[in-house]
Amino acid sequence: MAKEGLGLEITELRLGLPGDNYSEISIWGSKNKKRVLSDMMTSSSLNTENENGVVSSAEDESLPVVKSQAVGWPPVCSYRRQKNNEEASKAIGYVKVSMDGVPYLRKIDLGSSNGYNNLATVLENLFGCLGLGVAKEGKKCEYIIIYEDKDRDWMLVGDVPWQMFKESCKRLRIVKRSDATGFGLQRD
Amino acid sequence: MNYFPDEVIEHVFDFVTSHKDRNAISLVCKSWYKIERFSRQKVFIGNCYAINPERLLRRFPCLKSLTLKGKPHFADFNLVPHEWGGFVLPWIEALARSRVGLEELRLKRMVVTDESLELLSRSFVNFKSLVLVSCEGFTTDGLASIAANCRHLRDLDLQENEIDDHRGQWLSCFPDTCTTLVTLNFACLEGETNLVALERLVARSPNLKSLKLNRAVPLDALARLMACAPQIVDLGVGSYENDPDSESYMKLKAAIKKCTSLRSLSGFLEAAPHCLSAFHPICHNLTSLNLSYAAEIHGSHLIKLIQHCKKLQRLWILDSIGDKGLEVVASTCKELQELRVFPSDLLGGGNTAVTEEGLVAISAGCPKLHSILYFCQQMTNAALVTVAKNCPNFIRFRLCILEPNKPDHVTSQPLDEGFGAIVKACKSLRRLSHSGLLTDQVFLYIGMYANQLEMLSIAFAGDTDKGMLYVLNGCKKMKKLEIRDSPFGDTALLADVSKYETMRSLWMSSCEVTLSGCKRLAQKAPWLNVEIINENDNNRMEENGHEGRQKVDKMYLYRTVVGTRMDAPPFVWIL
Repeated sequence: MAKEGLGLEITELRLGLPGDNYSEISIWGSKNKKRVLSDMMTSSSLNTENENGVVSSAEDESLPVVKSQAVGWPPVCSYRRQKNNEEASKAIGYVKVSMDGVPYLRKIDLGSSNGYNNLATVLENLFGCLGLGVAKEGKKCEYIIIYEDKDRDWMLVGDVPWQMFKESCKRLRIVKRSDATGFGLQRD
Repeated sequence: MNYFPDEVIEHVFDFVTSHKDRNAISLVCKSWYKIERFSRQKVFIGNCYAINPERLLRRFPCLKSLTLKGKPHFADFNLVPHEWGGFVLPWIEALARSRVGLEELRLKRMVVTDESLELLSRSFVNFKSLVLVSCEGFTTDGLASIAANCRHLRDLDLQENEIDDHRGQWLSCFPDTCTTLVTLNFACLEGETNLVALERLVARSPNLKSLKLNRAVPLDALARLMACAPQIVDLGVGSYENDPDSESYMKLKAAIKKCTSLRSLSGFLEAAPHCLSAFHPICHNLTSLNLSYAAEIHGSHLIKLIQHCKKLQRLWILDSIGDKGLEVVASTCKELQELRVFPSDLLGGGNTAVTEEGLVAISAGCPKLHSILYFCQQMTNAALVTVAKNCPNFIRFRLCILEPNKPDHVTSQPLDEGFGAIVKACKSLRRLSHSGLLTDQVFLYIGMYANQLEMLSIAFAGDTDKGMLYVLNGCKKMKKLEIRDSPFGDTALLADVSKYETMRSLWMSSCEVTLSGCKRLAQKAPWLNVEIINENDNNRMEENGHEGRQKVDKMYLYRTVVGTRMDAPPFVWIL
């Protein structure tokens, strides 16, 4: 199937470890686990740095800096937190990105992205996948990117003009090519 | 009473409805135990792993209404992994096998599947009421089974669940013969709604009292729905979109005026604030107002609405209301009993939306206030002392200062004295969450004064094991204790093992308890399930070195009469 050069690049993915915080983020297999990354910055990961692990008195010098990013803090229930996040990112064109095998989602700002190449770079940085979007001659990449459009159909990224994609994309997903039979085809 | 025949005693027991009272009655003597168990229709189970369905049914064969709670409270804040447990299917299977006449099922924090909903809908002919709160694992297909098969369905109440919306036609699965609905709440559904099916359903439900719509129900549909349900008491508005055409808006205003029974308003999930004035004519009747999901309503529109609500007893709002807005509430809502102020900005943007001033104003203006949940940027001991003096009737007091460990912003002191004043003054306090900079001292006060305290949530507080010991020794009625990120360890955990017999559960995460401490506890108390939740490492902790001294990331213990549960995932280790 012939594709425009730009479109194909975005589908060239390689498997890679997701980001610097890998050792602190638990991976235990659930693909559908709903966690926002900002929630994942754990006070327990901060504990591994502090002997005490707990900040209690004012004299303690080793107060973790990023306290407001502790998991589950402030104690707002996840349903409400989700609605809050949706409100906050609604106007700006943020979409969720998930990757198979990674139990947490990321969010990217499609509004500030200016094309498929830029999108590829952003996703590379987010998930630590090198070579995302870089065409390898004659090489099939293990991962492809698909997106959910307004009709809630899953489409292959890269088929339509960038502007049209931006307006209709609701969320993104990075899936294994081998799992992706039928994706990108309009459901009848 | 012993000289009365059983039927008379049973008749007397019929007037006793609270499960606590019924539990107490059943302890008086064998004869009362027997009479009580055969007449009990409503059972409340606070921890689904404390007992199993078989034993439940053996004791209460006439069960009609069951309430079950699954995951621990901190699951709300993503501290409990999704696959931890709380599956309702085994319960429904057992109830179905026993052919008990189940009519009502209320579930909180449980995993519900479409399969279990289907089984539920087919197994109980008289099933009337399904209430799901903070549950997950099901889709609109499950709802379709309930709609299609429960012929006498009265309540379908979905509160804050994670439901996979398949954009199906579940609303059209209610048969035309279904006219018994009293409660229909689907506000948490994300997908599109079949408006025609919805309108027809509402039109043929003359008993409908509570209707909560989701985002996909627009303003013109709302107008039509309200027009055919003027008897509505509790309304959740879905979308209240911008620029409604004037005809829809006129129709809505007319319909609202006819809803003279309306007492509770919520929703406004997407709202054009200037349209709120359509509701002003009925505001003087409102006793409950929940605008905590209405991020777009603030400022003068919000204030104007509240100024009309003189009879308000319950208010849930976002902190964008500000201290000034709370002052308006304080001067308008003299009947206020419950207030919840939620944060609108979770990323700590630093907007000083509400402070101690708002809280003090409310306490001064609303003498009937007994429950509060208040998220704020800052607090002082002086303010808390004033609040305690103004409102000694608190039953629930939850204060969350957004930044952990923040001291009194005027004196830089810990907030021990402020919370101490609260527990000392509020003799009926049953639930407390505190925050800010807190030392062992606050726990000394809690242990000394909080005699009725049943639930305590501790985060980033205390200095030593003494803190936790004060609470365990002092609070005789403690049921649920949940602690995170506080320096309490094995000494406190093991000091009085028998205490856990009187408590429903204890949660400790990111504290100082070690694996060997937990093992010792499990040995001393075989009637407890001591669960170690260890996400970071699927392997057993003992494979690492120094296993005894290794700190446990998350521990959850609870009393149970049925031993270790069989459905725990690999990362949960039950000692």
